[in-house]
Amino acid sequence: MSLWVDKYRPTALGKLDYHKDQAGQLRNLVQCGDFPHLLVYGPSGSGKKTRIMCLLRELYGAGIEKLRIEHQSITTPSKKKLEISTIASNYHLEVNASDAGNNDRVVIQELIKTVAQSQQLETSTQRDFKVVVLTEVDRLTKDAQHALRRTMEKYMSTCRLILCCNSTSKVISPIRSRCLAVRVPAPSIEEICHVLSGVCKKECLILPQELARKIAEQSNRNLRKALLMCEACRVQQYPFSVDQDIPETDWEVYLRETANAIVNQQTPQRLLEVRARLYELLTHCIPPEIIMKGLLSELLNNCDGQLKGEVSQMAAYYEHRLQLGSKAIYHLEAFVAKFMAIYKQFMEVGLEAMMF
Amino acid sequence: MSKSNVGRKIVSAKLTNWVQPAFDDFLSDSTITSVTSHGKPSGHSLSSNGGQKIFQPERDKRSKFFPLNSTKNRKRTKTTNKGLLNYRKSNPPSNRTEPWVDEYIPRTQSELAVHKKKIEEVENWLKVHIRQRCHQDGSILLLTGPSGAGKTATLQVLVKELEIQLLEWTNPLQNEFKKPEFRDSFDIGKNYHTSQSVLFHEFLLRANKYNKLQMLGDSFQTDKKVILVEDIPNQFYRDPSCMHEVLRRRFVQTARCPLVFIISDSVSGSSNQRFLFPKDIQEELCIYNISFNPVAPTNMMKVLNRIASQESGGKTVAPDKAMLELVCQGSAGDIRCAINSLQFASAQGSSLEQNQLSFSKRKILAKAGTFSKGKLKGKASEKGDCLQAIGNKDPCLFLFRALGKILYCKRKFPYFEGEAPNGVDLNDLPTHLSEHERDPLLVNPEEVIENSHMSAELFNLYLHQNYLDFFKEIEDVVRASDYLSDANFLIADWNHHSTMMTYSASVATRGIIHANTARARANCQGGIGFKPFHKPQWLLINKKYHENCNAAKGFFSNFCLAPICLQTQLLPYLALLTNPMRNQAQINFIQDVGTFPFKRYPARLTLETLTDKDPGIMELDNDENFSLATSSVGMETQNSAVSASQTGSGDLPNSQPQPTITQSILEEEFIIEEYDSD
Repeated sequence: MSLWVDKYRPTALGKLDYHKDQAGQLRNLVQCGDFPHLLVYGPSGSGKKTRIMCLLRELYGAGIEKLRIEHQSITTPSKKKLEISTIASNYHLEVNASDAGNNDRVVIQELIKTVAQSQQLETSTQRDFKVVVLTEVDRLTKDAQHALRRTMEKYMSTCRLILCCNSTSKVISPIRSRCLAVRVPAPSIEEICHVLSGVCKKECLILPQELARKIAEQSNRNLRKALLMCEACRVQQYPFSVDQDIPETDWEVYLRETANAIVNQQTPQRLLEVRARLYELLTHCIPPEIIMKGLLSELLNNCDGQLKGEVSQMAAYYEHRLQLGSKAIYHLEAFVAKFMAIYKQFMEVGLEAMMF
Repeated sequence: MSKSNVGRKIVSAKLTNWVQPAFDDFLSDSTITSVTSHGKPSGHSLSSNGGQKIFQPERDKRSKFFPLNSTKNRKRTKTTNKGLLNYRKSNPPSNRTEPWVDEYIPRTQSELAVHKKKIEEVENWLKVHIRQRCHQDGSILLLTGPSGAGKTATLQVLVKELEIQLLEWTNPLQNEFKKPEFRDSFDIGKNYHTSQSVLFHEFLLRANKYNKLQMLGDSFQTDKKVILVEDIPNQFYRDPSCMHEVLRRRFVQTARCPLVFIISDSVSGSSNQRFLFPKDIQEELCIYNISFNPVAPTNMMKVLNRIASQESGGKTVAPDKAMLELVCQGSAGDIRCAINSLQFASAQGSSLEQNQLSFSKRKILAKAGTFSKGKLKGKASEKGDCLQAIGNKDPCLFLFRALGKILYCKRKFPYFEGEAPNGVDLNDLPTHLSEHERDPLLVNPEEVIENSHMSAELFNLYLHQNYLDFFKEIEDVVRASDYLSDANFLIADWNHHSTMMTYSASVATRGIIHANTARARANCQGGIGFKPFHKPQWLLINKKYHENCNAAKGFFSNFCLAPICLQTQLLPYLALLTNPMRNQAQINFIQDVGTFPFKRYPARLTLETLTDKDPGIMELDNDENFSLATSSVGMETQNSAVSASQTGSGDLPNSQPQPTITQSILEEEFIIEEYDSD
């Protein structure tokens, strides 16, 4: 019994639930048996990877579904051994190069070189190129991206790249111009509702439309999240009722409590407690950027409209610091302290205004 | 004779000129036996050396245990004697070159500069453990304390007074590596390269069992003995558990005589006693720990006065009281250092000494004057120069004190009582900046950091962990946390990391000191009271974060998701689902990472209190190194997962979670579960 997300993932371009026009265009693209480098981008949970796999299946047939996890070890010029895991079929290779941290440049060059240098044996039954899927391209260092640019040109004859990322803003423009950009927008609420009811029908469950809509709204138009929520709802209570609570992830609840704690009291002692909570979030694998973002949105919900501008600006400032610095806690804490001070001052001024 | 041997002879002859004083004393004391006994690998009497060179016999005793060294020794000693004879001709036996540290080595308890209570404590321990013959445990004593606190001297004096033999371990020199062709021509099967730890081991055994050989001139015959280990074999620094094993197995079980370890305190972690003798080992082996304090100024002055009065009248200039005080002050409780600098300072004809004297006199005079004028800064720097010129000990602060100095930031009055601040002062800030006005600091933050012997990064972490307790206003915290953020930002780029370190530390420390408006004035000190310091949690948290991320990647690689999606979406929801297709390790991991403890106070974030002499040991991993180190752990789990999936069906049917052989890294044992793929 696998997750619904995996179980009902469409495997062919024709079976995709939404963005059907785009699916048709993609099919046309690979009709002739070849395609340019692709840059697939869009928000998380919009179906980028699903589309890439469908495209590859269109190209290579069912053989693409035989996946295996491989471990490659690569030696950097400084004699450091890097281990990186890849997911591969006979026809393609999927790498998340940002796993290698600062050495992602070496990973990109070496992996693509080895893939590209091996010629396909039977060109009659197969394509004469392999495909390398690079995920999280926006997290690559600038070095690696420039290396990628060279590699792209060099091995064009034997290898096609499909780059996958959330936003193109962090991808250097030479790469953007070498690829055909494919934007995968997040599904609309209706589309998510449609998918959810479709999945529930296949599971022989009855999903009320209102609940489906509620889930879709709460998922932030993230289909993966919506499906996981729906499955969690099923675990929580079945038959579904319209007004049942949609389970949230623990960390979101925890973050909201943290934000409430910040709003309730603004003292150094409270900051110390908040720090402990931030540490707790970090040990549960929540990346600092996500904490910062989540904290901001929760705090914005709690504070007056006048403050929102300033608070967001502070958040942006410290988020930038977070990206540049090495120890996230300094910057997270500085942001929390700053918010506390702004909020406290605002409340005091408000109180004085009420008195007079 | 090979060329190298001749060369060595010359070198060693030359060398003896440098080390002469130690042998000179020896010669003058026992002229008759010098050549013969030195040539033979034999033990020496303690009495012939008059107690001054108690450790002299040890050098030979070692060669007794390991006869291999004897030939070399003989050669060496011959040349040594030649050198000595030459020396004796040229120098009258006035012993003027003898370091005062050796000359005025304490011989009685009253001469020791150590506190009476400490001496008593050591004495009692020795008495108790010498008396009881066959003891099962508790026959190990650990003397700790800063260098020059008189640990060794105390033991020597006591041993002499109690008439106990002292057997000391000295690390053997093994600089000569025999080539194989030499070896097989002579003693085949003889072990040339026995490791130090093995030698140590044997030494303990033999020292335990056998008495010292009775030699010519041995006056007191006693079977009471104590083994002293001051020179700990190098191997044990690398792997302390190795030493614990030796102690546990060989010594404690067959102990006949007490064993004394002497370890100097140090700020660096590797040679620290906490590293060599962790608490649990101390308890297990019933090691009794006596910790020495730095020599108190009064005791130090007593000793210095005694030496000075004995020395006066000779060729040296008698140092005056101001000088002694200066020396005493500069040595920071290290008596050895104090005596050395006293000798150096009062050496005859040194122009330095003249300078020093006049300088220090001037200083004393200035001291009286400074109180009337606001020349505080000038005084401080003058004092620093003065002390440095004498060659004082590098001051060193334990982390605990260093943190205290920054966080309690003592300030002084800019004006003295009774003296009203006259309106025109150049230091006054304009009115719009008056909130930034602070009284002058008593500490120099950069000096504190330097003396704490820590990297700025780690020091900042300690500050960050502890600064919040000292703040009352959230506005101050904003400023302080902002400075900390700046400090971290400064050292973010590895290119400039080493250069920016000092700046970063300055920004952090001065930022925190300045931001604390509650302590802006000299008169608003106190009120906070004692706050315990804690060790920074960040390193642990960061490590855990990376470990968990890697473990997540390892366990759930079949989902083919990007790490962020995996950690923020999949894992938390997996915790909410009841999906049976997972093995125990995965379930544990999900329970651990996916869910939060809402009600109870976060238990895993227990704070570790920083105690007085804790060193700042924690290897500060570079983030990259770190992630790689941990990623290998993650890879291991992945490997096992993969090997399983390969032995199974060999492929993943479209990101389907599969049963795998997984090693659980959460519990530190291996649970190997084998599944047949069906």
